[in-house]
Amino acid sequence: MTRPPTLRLTHPAVITAFLMVQTLAAVFFLGDVVTELFTDPLGPHVVLEGLTALALISGMAFGTLTLRAALDRLRTQSAALAVAAGSLAQVIDTQFTDWRLTPAERDVGLLALKGLDVAEIAAVRGAATGTVRAQLAHIYAKTGVSGRAQFAAFFVEDLLGSGVPAIGAGPSATSS
Amino acid sequence: MATASQPGGEGPPDLWDPLIRVSHWGIAAVVLSNALLTSGGSTLHVWIGWTGMALLLLRLIWGVVGPREARFAAFPPNPLAALRHLGHLLRGRAALYPSHNPAGAMMAYALWLSLAVVIATGLGMTGAATPMQIARQNAAVAAGDWSVLVDTTAPKADASPDWTKTLQGIHEVAANLMLFLAFLHVAGVVVESRAMRRNLVLPMIAGTRMRRK
Repeated sequence: MTRPPTLRLTHPAVITAFLMVQTLAAVFFLGDVVTELFTDPLGPHVVLEGLTALALISGMAFGTLTLRAALDRLRTQSAALAVAAGSLAQVIDTQFTDWRLTPAERDVGLLALKGLDVAEIAAVRGAATGTVRAQLAHIYAKTGVSGRAQFAAFFVEDLLGSGVPAIGAGPSATSS
Repeated sequence: MATASQPGGEGPPDLWDPLIRVSHWGIAAVVLSNALLTSGGSTLHVWIGWTGMALLLLRLIWGVVGPREARFAAFPPNPLAALRHLGHLLRGRAALYPSHNPAGAMMAYALWLSLAVVIATGLGMTGAATPMQIARQNAAVAAGDWSVLVDTTAPKADASPDWTKTLQGIHEVAANLMLFLAFLHVAGVVVESRAMRRNLVLPMIAGTRMRRK
């Protein structure tokens, strides 16, 4: 579990529970009303019962549509997130290629972007911290940034602008 | 990451939506308890039967307005495709479908149809009286007021014993057919899960959360 499950009123499970109660109430009540129509048609209670039946049925219709909308919203969000994550990964990949980073530098650069510090990167790669520090220095030199913060900001800046740029149409940094 | 499991992907969903899951297990519980536990004609039997009717109704509405994989259009009844799918399954190279596979779809329609027959004949036998009305009637009879049974305006009055017997026969045959289909359904899920190396039960309970995280 990455996130603690929060149960909000718009959560599909909550809407489904609500919808179940609505449907059971509607079916049982309508059954009662319809059979009573045969035994005691057009009593004064018919108006009230008709209104109640209408309320139950529209509640059911509303619940169904709300559930559909909630599911659609969740799916759109996760799809958009997947697209954004994929796009950012591709933008980084293209940019690394533009900068002509070596395979080792690509790995170190990606780990640095993910927020690992020098000691952690060294541990992950099974390398000495001195090696990692040297690789990072190479990356900053090729990239033309002053250091770690600016290196990370390079990609964040694109996200903050007018969305994720198209692949290839990268930031203004010149290659070589 | 999860290509086949994304909503827009190839295979069936990793997790069916909550309405499908609740109606699936609800109807399973209704069928099993009314077939094996409650005695036919009892108030409890009628209560459970009406609950099943509500669940079936909701699922059928969902088949029109629900998300894509819940809609009938995503799994049209096609007996030929069902047979073809079973043939492919035997040879171990069945395709993935965005909703129920063609054989599963035929099973769903067969189960719904027999459930509808059971519900309709059940309603016919009780004169469509709700469990509340039956309970009231039973209470009145228990209190010594037999007049409720000879109420001439009651819908039950025009059902002659012959007709009721026929309905009861159909009710029982359809119920047994449904149990048999349910058994086939479970067997099909087991076979398909093994052949495709894909657990088909988890998506009907809690999805991949149970096995991956």
